[in-house]
Amino acid sequence: MSDLNTIVSTYLGVSGILAEIIGIVAYAVAVSILIVAFDYVFGWVERKTIAKIQKRHGPTYAGKYGILQNMADFVKLLSKEHVVPKRADKLLFLPTIPAMLALSVFLIFLIPLTPELIETNIGLGLLVILVLLSFMPLIIFANGFGSGNKFAAISAQRSVVMLLSYEIPLVFVIAAVGVLANGYTLSGIMSAQNHWWFVFLMPIGFFVFFIVMLAELERPPFDMREADNELIAGWLTDVSAPYYTLALFLDYTRMFLGSLLIAILFFGGWNGPVLPPVVWLLLKVFIISFFIMIVRATTVRMRIDRLLRFGWTWLLPLSLLNLILIYLLFIG
Amino acid sequence: MAITRINIGPVHPSTHGVIRLVADIDGDTVVNLEPHIGFLHRGVEKLVETRMYMQSPPYMEKLDYVAPMSYDEAYVAAVEKAMGVEVKERAMWVRTILLELQRIASHLLWLGTMANDVGQFFTVFMWCFKDRDLILRLLEEASGARMFYVNMRIGGLIRDLPPGFDDRARETLNYMEKRIGEYEDFLEKNPIFIERMRGVGVMNRDKAIELGVTGPVLRGSGVSYDVRKDNPYYVYDKLNFEPQARSEGDCFARYKVRMLEMRESIKLVKDALSKMPGGDALGMQVRLILPSAKNREVTLSREMPRGECMMYMVADPQKPYRLSIRSPSFINLAALNEIAKGCRTADIFAIMGSLDLVMGDADR
Repeated sequence: MSDLNTIVSTYLGVSGILAEIIGIVAYAVAVSILIVAFDYVFGWVERKTIAKIQKRHGPTYAGKYGILQNMADFVKLLSKEHVVPKRADKLLFLPTIPAMLALSVFLIFLIPLTPELIETNIGLGLLVILVLLSFMPLIIFANGFGSGNKFAAISAQRSVVMLLSYEIPLVFVIAAVGVLANGYTLSGIMSAQNHWWFVFLMPIGFFVFFIVMLAELERPPFDMREADNELIAGWLTDVSAPYYTLALFLDYTRMFLGSLLIAILFFGGWNGPVLPPVVWLLLKVFIISFFIMIVRATTVRMRIDRLLRFGWTWLLPLSLLNLILIYLLFIG
Repeated sequence: MAITRINIGPVHPSTHGVIRLVADIDGDTVVNLEPHIGFLHRGVEKLVETRMYMQSPPYMEKLDYVAPMSYDEAYVAAVEKAMGVEVKERAMWVRTILLELQRIASHLLWLGTMANDVGQFFTVFMWCFKDRDLILRLLEEASGARMFYVNMRIGGLIRDLPPGFDDRARETLNYMEKRIGEYEDFLEKNPIFIERMRGVGVMNRDKAIELGVTGPVLRGSGVSYDVRKDNPYYVYDKLNFEPQARSEGDCFARYKVRMLEMRESIKLVKDALSKMPGGDALGMQVRLILPSAKNREVTLSREMPRGECMMYMVADPQKPYRLSIRSPSFINLAALNEIAKGCRTADIFAIMGSLDLVMGDADR
């Protein structure tokens, strides 16, 4: 915690364990505020963008340009009754959504947002994130089966099928990134992209990673877990008011996480002229999230068995090819 | 393998109207899909028996609330046939134009909901509703109402087309032609959409004939049967159009047939607008309806947006003795179980969308 320490001690004039605690708390609060702000702003931006694509106006009544609409929805959802179905296994059903949210927030804490604050930059950062990210479909599986709803159960099955279809290509792409950056620390990956972003060095890897991230984030065309026209709301079918609010937050927090990962792994992270690094990073995140949004409005949902086939016949060979090419071109 | 039984509907995001599907699913494969209908049964056939002839059109319109005018017209045509009334020359043309506009509006609504069923997040849906509104505006000009028109009268219509309708209709139709191309680009250039539709829910020619399906569902299976062409009514035989058929019999074929049909309808309306004679299109105001003795039993068939509708009416003075309707949605729904067997869970909704069911029409 050396850097936070120095910042706190230079600005506040305290030192030792107190400075360390203040530093940790301040960082946690700042990142949490950032996450909530992103969730809120993107909840609104997504509504407005998709409305514009669909020739609608989107929210207009609550606040200027409907900026308060999400707040209104949030308050409304919190005021609703929380219903836990009788047939639900409470041990599995209740803690899963808070656990997922906590996991996503924790993963964002693991990402160094500026070069100065590298205490979050743990040794095998990317691999830790990869491992923890793979828990998400399993948590969804637990929630789906725990809720005792058949639609949720089908969603849980789909969750596992999705895990099978994209997790291995993801590992290969991350291995290729590790090969290029000569390590798995996130700051190392970003500083390796000083001259050339990895998106130019391995476009195939980026293609695979982007698709896998869309699937990971339950974004269309890979939102089969939540497929609202088929499974009502999938694993969220029986989730009611406060937990559903959390689920909405979870959606955007995961999108933030996914966009951060794409920005860091392929678009140089905080690299960029003039503006401070954190601004560059957030700008890239914003653009990537925006793109994910546009994909949502313009595509059709894939079928789960097709995703499995797509994963094994396209993504896996492509990611392997990517790894081999990277090895031959840059190492061998 | 354990078989899961899931209830889809009657309250479900993508059951069109109110239908309950009981699906037996083995893993991800549908073993059996049983539709349960009757949630929207209003007993219209019986209700009509207790009303005088011209009190019934509003009830008929509520049967198929997506294409109300076509039912209105079919019923009034049945009454006219029973009475032995000749429809005025211009009224025939106006009716043809309005029915074709109604067909375009109905198909646009179908396109939006079907795109939603395969997981399109409301974009096509919103666009279609926006464009459908232009057609509804034309129909409003012609009839005074946007949804339930009740503008058919014995021997004609409640009012003639307003002045300047030609130009506005042509303008709207030109725009619509462009838009349909855009929809096709939007959907067909998406490989996922093609994958969701092609080879899904295949109904071959023999099966389609055996099940008695009609309309775009039948034409999607390669049978070029269109009442407008094979048994023409009004002025369809004087107009220039081709019934659209595709031989694949899958969801994509049914989708494509409807898209082509919209184009044909646009062509048809433009043709009719240019050939339309002048004169009078107003219907009679009838207070006492006495069916002619030789036509007591009347049957007539109409090509509706959803398929062939048949009206069988036994006429009494003032009130029909019996009215029986062969509704296209009801018969097409019977095909659902046959073609959904063995498909994936997600395909149920693509198939439902491609059949274009209106439950008000099926339940009557």
